[in-house]
Amino acid sequence: MDRLVKDHNEKSQYDLYLQEIEGIDDYWGPTFRAVFDNNEHVEFKEKVEERIKHHDRDIERLCNVYYQGFIESVRELLEVKSQSKNLNNQVVAIDKHLQTTSQAISKSGAELLKARKVQSNIAVVIAQLNLCLPVFLTYSKLQKQISDKRYYPALKTLEELEHQHLPHVSNYRFSNQLREKIPKYRDKIEAASMSDLKDFLENIRKFSPKIGEVATRHTSEQLATDPTVIGRKKKRNLTNQDSTTNFSEEDLSAQELIDFSPIYRGLHIAHALGKVSNFEAYYRAERTKQARLVLQPPTNMHESEESYRNYIYAVLGFFILEDHVLNTGRGLITKAFLEDMWSMALSKITTALQTHSAYCTDATLILRIKDLIMLFCTTLRNYGYSVKPLWELVRELRDHYTEVLMQRWVQVFREILSKEDYQPIEVHNQEEFEHVLLTFPWDGDLPDDVTFPYSFPFSRMVPKIYQQVKEFIYACLKFSEDLNLSQVEVDEMIRKSMNLLLTRSFSGCLSSIFRSPHVGLQEITQIIVDTGYLEDANVYLDQFISNITGEESRGATVGTIQGQYGMFRVAREDAVRQISEKLRQKLNEFLELETYDWTLVEPKGHASSFISDIIAFLQTTFHSFTHLPPEVAQVACRSACEHIAKSMFAMLMNTEIRQISMGALNQLNLDLLQCEQFAASEPVKGLQQDELLAYFAKLRELLDLFITWDWPTYFHDYAQETSKYKKVQPDIAIVLLEKLKEGDRKNIFTVLNKNERDKKKLLETVLKQLKQLSVK
Amino acid sequence: MAKTYDYLFKLLLIGDSGVGKTCVLFRFSEDAFNTTFISTIGIDFKIRTIDLDGKKIKLQIWDTAGQERFRTITTAYYRGAMGIMLVYDITNEKSFENIKNWIRNIEENASADVEKMLLGNKCELEEKRQVSRERGEQLAIEYGIKFIETSAKASIRVEEAFFTLARDIKTKMEKKLKEASNPPKGGHQLRASEPQKKPTSWLSRCTLL
Repeated sequence: MDRLVKDHNEKSQYDLYLQEIEGIDDYWGPTFRAVFDNNEHVEFKEKVEERIKHHDRDIERLCNVYYQGFIESVRELLEVKSQSKNLNNQVVAIDKHLQTTSQAISKSGAELLKARKVQSNIAVVIAQLNLCLPVFLTYSKLQKQISDKRYYPALKTLEELEHQHLPHVSNYRFSNQLREKIPKYRDKIEAASMSDLKDFLENIRKFSPKIGEVATRHTSEQLATDPTVIGRKKKRNLTNQDSTTNFSEEDLSAQELIDFSPIYRGLHIAHALGKVSNFEAYYRAERTKQARLVLQPPTNMHESEESYRNYIYAVLGFFILEDHVLNTGRGLITKAFLEDMWSMALSKITTALQTHSAYCTDATLILRIKDLIMLFCTTLRNYGYSVKPLWELVRELRDHYTEVLMQRWVQVFREILSKEDYQPIEVHNQEEFEHVLLTFPWDGDLPDDVTFPYSFPFSRMVPKIYQQVKEFIYACLKFSEDLNLSQVEVDEMIRKSMNLLLTRSFSGCLSSIFRSPHVGLQEITQIIVDTGYLEDANVYLDQFISNITGEESRGATVGTIQGQYGMFRVAREDAVRQISEKLRQKLNEFLELETYDWTLVEPKGHASSFISDIIAFLQTTFHSFTHLPPEVAQVACRSACEHIAKSMFAMLMNTEIRQISMGALNQLNLDLLQCEQFAASEPVKGLQQDELLAYFAKLRELLDLFITWDWPTYFHDYAQETSKYKKVQPDIAIVLLEKLKEGDRKNIFTVLNKNERDKKKLLETVLKQLKQLSVK
Repeated sequence: MAKTYDYLFKLLLIGDSGVGKTCVLFRFSEDAFNTTFISTIGIDFKIRTIDLDGKKIKLQIWDTAGQERFRTITTAYYRGAMGIMLVYDITNEKSFENIKNWIRNIEENASADVEKMLLGNKCELEEKRQVSRERGEQLAIEYGIKFIETSAKASIRVEEAFFTLARDIKTKMEKKLKEASNPPKGGHQLRASEPQKKPTSWLSRCTLL
């Protein structure tokens, strides 16, 4: 370029143009104009040609200069080309290699990414699940509790679930479902608890008799071991001790036998549900219903002790449970409610027991019932119930018991009496002898050396009756056992019962014996003798009672006169009456054989045979019945004489007999003489000399008056104490006189006789006189 | 007063203790039987009226104690008796043997013409029999009296025995009445009840004292 610039400088102007053209790529116009403007274009054209030739030479020289280098460069380039190709191959291989390697990496990377994503997802889920888990746990707990019937915890769990856990998971659908389910669960729990309560109620209804039984047993054990109860229970104590050891597993208090939890649970649940009042009302209503059922005694209760027992146990069990519920049930029932129910029950029980026991005719059963009632009372009292009306019932029962005992003993007495032979006991050896003395306390005079066969004065009935009275006393006593009566009361009760037994039952039995036609004088005589010995034995009975009751013997006190002898006296008096009665019957049989000929002209000179027979019979009788107590014999003899006298007198006065002859009167006189002789002969020892004669006195005076015809004396002494005929009343004399007059009329022919006429006249006068007296 | 009977016969039952005199009487008077043995004390009687050939006959039957201790009392009744039943127990040899003693007793104490009869009681106890019927009959023939085996318990021939005895007494009495063509006193005939041949019975002796 420096040469171009030198050419330009050398040729001056043209060079400048060339320079300009060369220097400027475009905008060549102004230059060309300048060239054209100076008219130099041909010179310029040469110059440009020269210039082009110059440049071509330059180019040629340059190409010469650079050719070698060019070749070399091509060569080098070729070399580079192969090298670059090589390199390219290398790069491609590397790239390929890299490509494969990176592909695995990217895959792992992708996987990693995915895993990372999963991991984070898992973390989120875990967090969510942690939120939900308590809900489910609680829920499952709830389910389990429900299925375990642990409703109260279930209810609590439900609450927890509702208020603690569910709010955290409210965005879940199950939460809503759960929420919806909650009230249902509540209802279900309530229903379940109610049904539990029902089951419980049913259960205790079934179980309460058992409770009653256990409670009763406990009471009886307690009574038995109670040191305050006096010694009379010792026997039972012993027997009980064995049995108590066996009870050990059952040695729970009665109410412990029952699981009350359903009721508490129910109550809790009701509390939790806020339905306590419902629950209470239900419980009370149900129990009231049950009470009514329990209190309804079985219709055939009076038939067996078992039914009484069941009834009592059921009632007892019921109220024990109720008491327990009262104490532990937190106001499920109130004291007032229970008391109401109890007072209702009490009256029902009393009535039920009253009616049923009234049917009972078995003394043993009554005893058992009494024991039951007593245990019932004691047990109830232990539980704080008032049992007063039941005591009253027991008292009534006691009366009934005594009544039943009486009836039983009436049977016993009847049996004894029916098997009785009314013979003095005859023993043949020492053993029998002692046996009799053992069974009957007799302090009579025993011979020093007893010779066998030995006869006791009394019959077998005596020891038997004595034993039976003792048995009766024991039986009576059985009732007062455990009754916590004072000794005085027991004593009084026994004495009263015994008194009744002897005065009423025993006497009644004897009386019915007397009524029997087969019982003769000798049986009654033996009965009298026997009752005498029984009476004597009263002292021992008295001691016996005193020993039992510990009360002082009444023997020493005022009771003796009325109480002691009164007991057999009724029987004895009846017997004495009977002996007179039997004797009279016999006499009547004789008297029926009376064969007076009332128109007899002449007496036969000896007594009528029926009178002789009577007298002989009486003599024999009083002679034979040597063992008849004298006072009884006296009574009998008096009554016999009185009866004969009256009967003979009645014969005279008999209105059917219209006529009587003097001969007949004389015959009667003979008979009367016979009687008087008997009366005066002291047929029975200890009678006053004239006592028996007095019975015949009236007849005697009448006969004397008529036979002696001593009317003047009669009228003279009439109504005076000293009169020989003071017992002859005018109207009686009139009757007899009329009969005599009738009798005389027969002898119509004698009327003509003057003597007879006077006689007749006298008779009329006497009659008139008598009639006057009679009117007075 | 109208009499309720035509004749009064006094009968007597004798025999050892326990042969069943009271039972025989009980059967006859009450038509009943009592198993319990009650030894009779002293003397007792029952009355039964029977109809015999159109006559009303009152039987006053005395039941005596068989026991020895009452012997003095009971023998006193022999004399008044118009008929005597001798009773033994067919199951008791001793009671049969004693019949002879009883007959001796009668001979000593009763009136000579008393009607007698032999009763073998308890004939229902055949398996316990100790005295054969033949021996009873033999004895009866020896003493010239009638014989019947009876059972008070089973009610066998008790009626018959009493009726037979009563009939024999009646026959004897009516025969005597006929023989006594001239009765001593007016009213006496009516009083058939009185023993005819004993103007002084032991009973009336007292009266005469």
